[in-house]
Amino acid sequence: MSAKLTDRSQQDFGLSPEVACQVRDLNVTYRVDGRELSALREVSLDIRQGQITAVIGESGSGKSTLALALMNAVSSPGRIASGRVTYRGLGEVTGMRGEELRRIRGKAISMVFQASQNSMNPLTRIGAQLLDLARSHDLPNPRAVLREAGDLASRMSLDADRVLTSYQHQLSGGMRQRVGIIFGLVLKPEILLMDEPTTALDVLSQSSVLEIVRSIQRERQLTTVLITHDMGVVAELADRVVVLYAGRVVEEASTAELLRHPRHPYTRSLIQAIPRLTGDPGDAKALEGQPPSLASVPNQGCVFRERCPYRMDVCETILPSFRFDGDGEHRFACHYEEARHD
Amino acid sequence: MKGLLPRLIKRILGGIVMILVVASFTFFLIHLIPGNPVEAKLMQLETAGVTPLRAQIEVQAMYGFLPHQPLDIQYIHYIWQILHLNLGQSITYAGVSVTHLLLEAMPWTVITVTSGIIVSFVVGILTGVIIAVYRDRGISNALTLFSTFLHGIPQLILALLLAFLFTTIWPIFPFGSPYDAVLTPGFTLPFIGSLIWHAVLPVAAYAISSYGGWALTMKSSVISVLGDDFILASELRGLKPRIRIGYIARNAILPLFTTLTLSIGFMFGGSVFIEEIFDYRGLGYMLITAVGNLDYPLMAGSFLIITVAVIVANIIADFVYTAIDPRIRT
Repeated sequence: MSAKLTDRSQQDFGLSPEVACQVRDLNVTYRVDGRELSALREVSLDIRQGQITAVIGESGSGKSTLALALMNAVSSPGRIASGRVTYRGLGEVTGMRGEELRRIRGKAISMVFQASQNSMNPLTRIGAQLLDLARSHDLPNPRAVLREAGDLASRMSLDADRVLTSYQHQLSGGMRQRVGIIFGLVLKPEILLMDEPTTALDVLSQSSVLEIVRSIQRERQLTTVLITHDMGVVAELADRVVVLYAGRVVEEASTAELLRHPRHPYTRSLIQAIPRLTGDPGDAKALEGQPPSLASVPNQGCVFRERCPYRMDVCETILPSFRFDGDGEHRFACHYEEARHD
Repeated sequence: MKGLLPRLIKRILGGIVMILVVASFTFFLIHLIPGNPVEAKLMQLETAGVTPLRAQIEVQAMYGFLPHQPLDIQYIHYIWQILHLNLGQSITYAGVSVTHLLLEAMPWTVITVTSGIIVSFVVGILTGVIIAVYRDRGISNALTLFSTFLHGIPQLILALLLAFLFTTIWPIFPFGSPYDAVLTPGFTLPFIGSLIWHAVLPVAAYAISSYGGWALTMKSSVISVLGDDFILASELRGLKPRIRIGYIARNAILPLFTTLTLSIGFMFGGSVFIEEIFDYRGLGYMLITAVGNLDYPLMAGSFLIITVAVIVANIIADFVYTAIDPRIRT
């Protein structure tokens, strides 16, 4: 058993060296009133080793579903209809079930939840829950996990002893969110998924927590996926950005490139919607209209056309395919941009 | 955690006040009853040729107070007697002290009611968990239907049905008193066996009548806990199934403890019907006998002892709740 596992950890499963996780043609559907509605459509991604990849999109764009799919944790009524998620050293999680999947979750791949402040058992002390976590993954020395958690707590300017002996209700919302991050980091995962990790924090503690996450990520060369709706957080933290709209990837580039030369009209409006600290807050422009719901996503043509200022006839019928730019590091799917540059 | 002792003392003092309130209530109730049973007894003794002085002494022994004294003196005297655990003398069982009668009857009721609650709580909770966990399957629907059906049968009818089936049609179980009369009470195997044998039907009546309620409440509690964020989180953190089930069970059982507290009083109330039906000589049976024979001292005493039992049970339940829910402690 252990020999087999060691073998696995050396395998790359056909991934190129800089890629930690490969997503191919991922389709996730939810069954609502007897109809299969798509939450993610043909999503393909390479999540790079040791980098922070941000996935940005509005609510309903499928970004939380993507986070769950990365752990093969889409639960009923949803399901992964097709596609693969493969990790270096772990294999294809989309083909795993039961005990095999449980051993990976929380250990090799860990997640910081959107509602992190409610991610602890209210009836058990934080320290005891960390021990539960350690024992679940058969660590030889569960107590070492408490020490590690204490160190992380101190780094996040929490009183380590107090936090470990506390119950959830004795901590403030911001403290709990940080404890949620500690749970995500304490077993030293290879991949960290963070779903809106700082939504419950005020602006000041948000930036300090993000700074700590960033420094731990650098130290450990931790491959991180950051799910967010906040372009400001992306600019501060991410190495690469994937823009998701109505369950489809519409643009992907390095953060610097994306902020400087956004190509997709949706990405541009996201950037324009960031309010500046200096200058007129009225300069920030909100994007008109609502994103489509699962049921109203058009089945053909461009998914963004309803809100697009550059809408053309071709957008109604033909799905734009990806165009690559800048050494193939920047991709986008837009008929208008394609036409403009040809 | 800290302040457990002061809290306990506070609760016990509160309980004593409550007991005195109920005792006062029964005292004034006896005075409000038309025809005044105390006067009636006095008259009855005097017409029977007992000297007035002798009659007064007898009545005082029976009720703990004399009818000719002013009401406040009578009241103080009555409460004073209660504080000395003297509940007067029974009329039905002439010359036997009420305290003695009740102490004899109490264990049987406490044993059967407690066993009934424990059996129904444990079985009901396990059923509720099964219904909730397998809620997509046929077994779950069948159990839900079964539990709802049992929940709908009134305790009284259920007890009658059990008595009819198992003591008359198929006389498998004995009818009547808590143990076979030929045996002497003690920690002997035949005595304990006989005790259990006699208790089966009353315990079954208590258990079956409250089982459905536990199963259905637990079902909805488990389903609501399964939807909590921390349960999803525990799955995505790869916690072992054993540990996760512990998380779910503790959180789901918690709200049921409030209901458990309430059910203790309900079950003691039910003992009046169930013990009457099975001719089981416990507190409920005593109360029915007292009412039937206008035995006011015994009636007042039974009320009081049932009150004490319910209050003590509530204090215990309250402290168990404190032990399992850290949110109450701070």
